[in-house]
Amino acid sequence: MAQDSENSKRLTELRMKHGRPPASPSEPRAERAETLREAQPRFRGLESGHRACQGCGEALAARLVTESAGPDVMVANATGCLEVFSTPWPQTAWRVPWIHSLFENAPAVASGMEAAMKAKGKNTKVLAFGGDGGTYDIGFQALSGMLERHHNVLYVTYDNEAYMNTGIQRSSSTPHAATTTTSPAGKERMGKRHLKKDLLSIIAAHHIPYAASASVAYPQDLQRKVRYAMGVEGPTFLVIHSPCPLGWRHDSALTVEVARRAVQCGLFPLVELDRGALTNIMPIREPRPVSDYLELQGRFAHLFNKNDYRAQEELDHLQALADHNIEIYGLRGEGVDPIDSTGMSHVHRGGPLAGRN
Amino acid sequence: MTELTRGTWADAGSSLDFKTGSWRSTQRPVHVHSKAPCHATCPAGEDQQAWFAHLQLGHVEEAWRSLVAANPMPGVTGRVCPHPCETACNRTEVDGALAIHNVERWLGDEAVAKGWDYPVAPPADDAPTVAIVGAGPAGLSAAYHCVRLGMKAEIFETLPEAGGLLRMGIPPTRLPRNVLDAELNRVLDLPGITLNLRQRLGRDMTLEDLRERFAAVMLSPGCEMSKPWSVHGAVPPDLHEGLHLLQEFYDHGVLPDAAKGDVIVHGGGNTAMDICRIMMRAGAKSVTLITASGLPGPDTAPDDVINVVPRELEEALEEGLTIIEHATVGRLIMKGSKIKGVEIVSLKKEKGPDGRKRRVEFTGTERVVSVDMVVPCVGEQVDPEAFEGYIDGAYFSPDNPYGRIADRVYALGDARGHRGTVAAAIGDGRIAAEAVAAELAGADDPVADDRPEMSYDGLNTAYYAGSSRVSVAKLPVSERTFEAEIEGGISRAEALAEAQRCLSCGNCLACDNCWTMCPDNAVIKTAELASDGSHYVFDYDYCKGCGLCVQECPTGYIQSVPETS
Repeated sequence: MAQDSENSKRLTELRMKHGRPPASPSEPRAERAETLREAQPRFRGLESGHRACQGCGEALAARLVTESAGPDVMVANATGCLEVFSTPWPQTAWRVPWIHSLFENAPAVASGMEAAMKAKGKNTKVLAFGGDGGTYDIGFQALSGMLERHHNVLYVTYDNEAYMNTGIQRSSSTPHAATTTTSPAGKERMGKRHLKKDLLSIIAAHHIPYAASASVAYPQDLQRKVRYAMGVEGPTFLVIHSPCPLGWRHDSALTVEVARRAVQCGLFPLVELDRGALTNIMPIREPRPVSDYLELQGRFAHLFNKNDYRAQEELDHLQALADHNIEIYGLRGEGVDPIDSTGMSHVHRGGPLAGRN
Repeated sequence: MTELTRGTWADAGSSLDFKTGSWRSTQRPVHVHSKAPCHATCPAGEDQQAWFAHLQLGHVEEAWRSLVAANPMPGVTGRVCPHPCETACNRTEVDGALAIHNVERWLGDEAVAKGWDYPVAPPADDAPTVAIVGAGPAGLSAAYHCVRLGMKAEIFETLPEAGGLLRMGIPPTRLPRNVLDAELNRVLDLPGITLNLRQRLGRDMTLEDLRERFAAVMLSPGCEMSKPWSVHGAVPPDLHEGLHLLQEFYDHGVLPDAAKGDVIVHGGGNTAMDICRIMMRAGAKSVTLITASGLPGPDTAPDDVINVVPRELEEALEEGLTIIEHATVGRLIMKGSKIKGVEIVSLKKEKGPDGRKRRVEFTGTERVVSVDMVVPCVGEQVDPEAFEGYIDGAYFSPDNPYGRIADRVYALGDARGHRGTVAAAIGDGRIAAEAVAAELAGADDPVADDRPEMSYDGLNTAYYAGSSRVSVAKLPVSERTFEAEIEGGISRAEALAEAQRCLSCGNCLACDNCWTMCPDNAVIKTAELASDGSHYVFDYDYCKGCGLCVQECPTGYIQSVPETS
């Protein structure tokens, strides 16, 4: 009981600070009239003015995550685009406590923060953010340790499939056949030679309470997964497919379209795992050919070279990988489902919450 | 001495101090209200998208109010209109056009049943009065819009009942008379409208009288005179022209005896179609329609298609009408003064040396059929008697969209020629009333809505759920009579479900996509409507111009425009 009222006081303080409307008439209001920006009916955890490129999928994903996780959270951020674009000295786009230490140690820092919160008897949830470089490669052992020690942390990795911050070098998350500056397509190779690391299976092997993949193309699904993870006691993990217009070489307006096609062709399956077992998937109503997804991106342009016999071979390879995902996760839908990869996008007048009370 | 750098002591500043809007180089997103294609093609000027938006929220009465802002008789047009809106509907490309006419009809009937009040205020006692000649759809619409704009209207009608072509030219199978009366009387009962029956211009008063007595005069006499018809100069002595035959039948319920035999109807309009169907039902041995136009099909040019309401044609074919397309009557074969047969000859409208289309009859294609009656339905024109000095030829031909043919004199509806639909007549009435209001106020003519039209390519259809068009019951051919309405109605649930299919082309759906998907938090949602009528505001201080919202807006309401300055 005492804990509850303590929490409610803290929430009130945070609401005052962030200009959110009070939850009940008994709560004091902000002292001045709210600006339009302050009056928005959502928590602005990652504020405007950050230096992400036009159409940045990662900025969108981070905004969506903090929006549904906040405001009573604190963030440990690994080195990467997100860290760089959100905190150019002397400014910050974050409106939650936020710390950056090193590339490889975000999970370790988050572990410490969580332990400190526990010691102080606070319920503030600790989030850890990293890119695919900081998660799949550099921070991987720290992440594994954090999961194994069962810290109450939500780890979110923004997967843009290469080291974008340093200039598009390949990571272990870069998909097969994609061009990066360190896996260029040319006479010798058709882009990256190796396969994308199946990180989610490795995470699942830690038997953590909840791990899931999400995509910026399905914000409602993404936010549902964040909210679910926030309610779980123990380590939880989210990988979010976040297109990078610069690194993937597509038009900045197409970020969501590219992400949507990745899901709809099967190359980025949206799945949820509880204690390592597959518990939910987003069915694909009508799987699209992978070429629909690849053709939008310059990093796969070499696969559409009609004069190169290897191009068709690699296209077929990627199609086979997508088909494999569809098969092992059972992604093929059974008829029309309002929350499959097609139905989940549908809008109606008044927004996603219209008609609900 | 230790020097403290700012980083060791300063609070972090907010990135809001850094206006990323300066990164925008070429394009910026803006809200653009475009016309939905239904609205753009509606001859009556209805904004179907707007009233469907009310229906999507379940606000039925508001939907009707929005509808009657343009068209006071939705129950009528929902039944008789050839609905170009549905032909233009962008949803045709997805899974079939919206059933706009069915929902319109349901709204009209609902308003009559519930007795909703028209959104008009009684005009002031000293309000100017407009004289309206003819109580057909154009005249009624003009009267309604005059009242809506604060004027009074006095209608003069030759016949003992109001309705014009709606009563005299449209069969009850399409427009039941009780439906017509209910809606029409509600309009006529509005304060400020006076109806004078059995008053004929030229007989009971002259146009000059009216011009003197009233603030303005609107002429909507319709076309009551059949165009002259002959076959190379020959006319059978017992000629019955289509429209008159139809009116005789509606008034007295009888057809000439010859109509029991083999009948040929010559023409290609709705009157021809109606007379064909009535004769078939009345027991004619056979009815054949001979038309110079073609039947709709993939190979038929749009300007060559027979000019009838598509569903009427469909129903007529169901009922067993034979149509000979691209043909005309070449010769009449008489026995004494009785017609015994006709010679049919194939023809096509082809471009002549001056580029204009003309009819070319093909020698060698003649065939003779034996018939008992030939009914010409080649169109009607204005009876010019009372309009001397105002009319030149078969129709009024105003040189402006308002129908103004002289100072404070307007011509509306079929009398303007080439209108052809009730909806166009209703549209004429509205536009003329607006022009009169402006003219009397000494203002400039009202300007037409010149917003661009939203095409299918401008939509993002990933955001629309598939759902098929409501299916409407039709009376089976064997049960069709002279009275029973053929097309059935739809239920409230069906109408509201159909409304959910509207794509809201070119107009904000308040779906939150732009607000949810902006990576830069540069779309701000507002509780109250913003000045442009949506709930969203672009914060150009931070918008980087990535174009994501433009791409992901389902309706095309957000568009990219070149960055100025």
